[in-house]
Amino acid sequence: MIKNQTMRKLGTWLAPLLITSTVLAGCASGNPTPSANGQPESASATGKQEITFAAYSNYEKPLTEAINAFEEQNPEIKVKLDLAPFDQLMETIEIKLSAKSKDVDALFVDSPLVMNYSVKGYLAPLDELIDGDAKQKWTPAAVESVTYNSQLVAAPMNSSSQVLYYNKELFAKNGIPLPDENTRMTWEEVVELAKKLTGDNVYGFSFEQISKAYQMLALSDSLGVKMISEDGLTATGYSNSPEAAQAFQFYGDLFNQDQVSPKIKKEESLDYFTSGKVAMYLATNQNMPKIRDSGMDFGVTLHPYFAGKQIATPTGAWNLGVSQFSEKKEAAAKLVEFLTLGEGAQIIFEVGGTLPPQVELLDAIATDPKYEAFPDSILRIAAKESLETAVSRPMTPGYLEWESNMNKAFDDIKNGAEPQKALDQAVSIIDNQLKKYKDVAAK
Amino acid sequence: MRSKKMLGPLLLFLLPALTGLFLFKLYPIGNGILQSLYTTSFLTGGQSFVGFQNYITLFQDPVFWNSLKVTLLFNIIINPLQVVLAFLLALLLNARIKRIAWFRSIHFVPVAISVPTACMLWNIMLSPEQGVVNSILAAFGLPEQPFLGSSTQALGSIIAIASWKGVGYWALFLLAGLQEVPASLMEASSLDGAGRWRQLIHIIYPMMKRPLTFIVVSITTANFLLFSPMYILTKGGPENSTNVLMLESFNSAFLYSDLGRSSAIVVILLMLTLTAVAVQFKWLKASH
Repeated sequence: MIKNQTMRKLGTWLAPLLITSTVLAGCASGNPTPSANGQPESASATGKQEITFAAYSNYEKPLTEAINAFEEQNPEIKVKLDLAPFDQLMETIEIKLSAKSKDVDALFVDSPLVMNYSVKGYLAPLDELIDGDAKQKWTPAAVESVTYNSQLVAAPMNSSSQVLYYNKELFAKNGIPLPDENTRMTWEEVVELAKKLTGDNVYGFSFEQISKAYQMLALSDSLGVKMISEDGLTATGYSNSPEAAQAFQFYGDLFNQDQVSPKIKKEESLDYFTSGKVAMYLATNQNMPKIRDSGMDFGVTLHPYFAGKQIATPTGAWNLGVSQFSEKKEAAAKLVEFLTLGEGAQIIFEVGGTLPPQVELLDAIATDPKYEAFPDSILRIAAKESLETAVSRPMTPGYLEWESNMNKAFDDIKNGAEPQKALDQAVSIIDNQLKKYKDVAAK
Repeated sequence: MRSKKMLGPLLLFLLPALTGLFLFKLYPIGNGILQSLYTTSFLTGGQSFVGFQNYITLFQDPVFWNSLKVTLLFNIIINPLQVVLAFLLALLLNARIKRIAWFRSIHFVPVAISVPTACMLWNIMLSPEQGVVNSILAAFGLPEQPFLGSSTQALGSIIAIASWKGVGYWALFLLAGLQEVPASLMEASSLDGAGRWRQLIHIIYPMMKRPLTFIVVSITTANFLLFSPMYILTKGGPENSTNVLMLESFNSAFLYSDLGRSSAIVVILLMLTLTAVAVQFKWLKASH
């Protein structure tokens, strides 16, 4: 009887104990998972280091080739290429680095964000990590854009400019003479042409980076608009000035009044051009290899401007940085150096068709007869534009906040919102967000 | 006496569930409340206590008020809509119609698709350029619509997409409830001369209070916290017309690096949800 009671008592306690321990054991099964060949996944066991590289997916082809070359030369380092589209890349970097995550070693750094990332302490200074002569090998403008507090915080990988691509077939079909490669058209002329080319499932004109500041700024720059105050902390009165509204009214009209541009997303624009649904396509020079490979018959001309106003072209660059929170900074710096100074830079230039920031490669573009013939001549145009007409994006520690809200406003304008109203709304949000940088800017 | 003796084992039985509840629900809530009282400095990376400053700043911010308005509008429309649709769908699924088994499997397809996939699918179908929905409208001679590109239609479009995706799931719970309604009751009432409508009001509805309470509360919490369609499809636009509080909180944390503001928004959202759920519990309390 007593024994029976004890057993029962034991039972009441044992059952929950068993369940609890089973659940806990289930949670705790965090053993390293062996990979297919039975080896632990961690590369350090074999003396191999794996570094993660957060990169923009548009550069998949040149990066993959360059990384293959890098891994051949550095068998002890394995590069995990973590590709994402632009918006997602910006977010991934923000989420991971703001949490001081160690899973990002090397990363893409957009030029206007150099300051923002530096203020937040995301980037490891490169001065001691890479070749001391590096600074002489890049153009001074490129070096300046990656210097913060007189320290090199990123390495310039490529620069960019824009050309107006056009579909020769669509011009011929409409009996319109082809634009001259060296004569810059005004926006007014482009719209007139676009109207003639629009019809029958074809749009006359499209931007590549629809509703993105990188390309939209050329419109306001042509009207001489300054988008942000000198100290980089005020957008009101700048990004929503009457001239800015006028510039972006033009943008909205392309979609709504003249209806010469398709209301699509940035990611769809290239396909619209290469499949003959868009006749004129204002896009970065590095689209040339993709357009050429699509087999279409195309030509180029210079970036347009507003009649009687300034000639302004977009510019922007990708730089590579090493995360301050990485535990493999040296290996990451080795990769960055290879891609921006070494053989990798050459591969990215050749495969990607990008405009290089390296003095040596720029000289080659200016002198090598190869760049006289179309379509390689596009690089020569881009190099010239980036020197003579390029206007860089606004300088502010809060560029991320500025850009994401302006991009939203541009998209609203594309969808038919009144430009002044959309810009007013954007600047009030931006200025609120910029307040937190006051102490930083004062420093 | 006996209940006291059983308390130890009882607690032990509950331990796994309680641990999970604490770790994944209560701790993050507590942490969120705490975070909302702090602000992070860029220079030092350190946190400083600011009391209710994050809330005060929020209440002075028109963006927050707009977000709150959008969130409330969204929920006032989508919650009753989903409950009613789920109930109607459950009645249909429960009906004795030929081949209803086929429909029962088909209606579950949207539920089995992940939210991002569903969003991408609808994004393509609703595209103002060559989207299939506009092609159908055009075929009937109706004007093409901007859908997600218009500040007056975007929220409605998202409500439609979320309901398309969600209603089938919620209907399953109601279907289970419907099948619990004793056939004898239905027979008896029909002998007494009750029509279908009276049966619905006086028998099915009271018998269904329990599953109804469950789905009303679940739908409400799910929709108050819903943000992936807005994040994927509209990014809160056009003209902030779909900028719900959850999205604003996400942006505050991961775009504006303002964890304090983000946490304050989440805490307010939590209060809002709790209030709504409390009201619903009171309203739907079973009288038996």
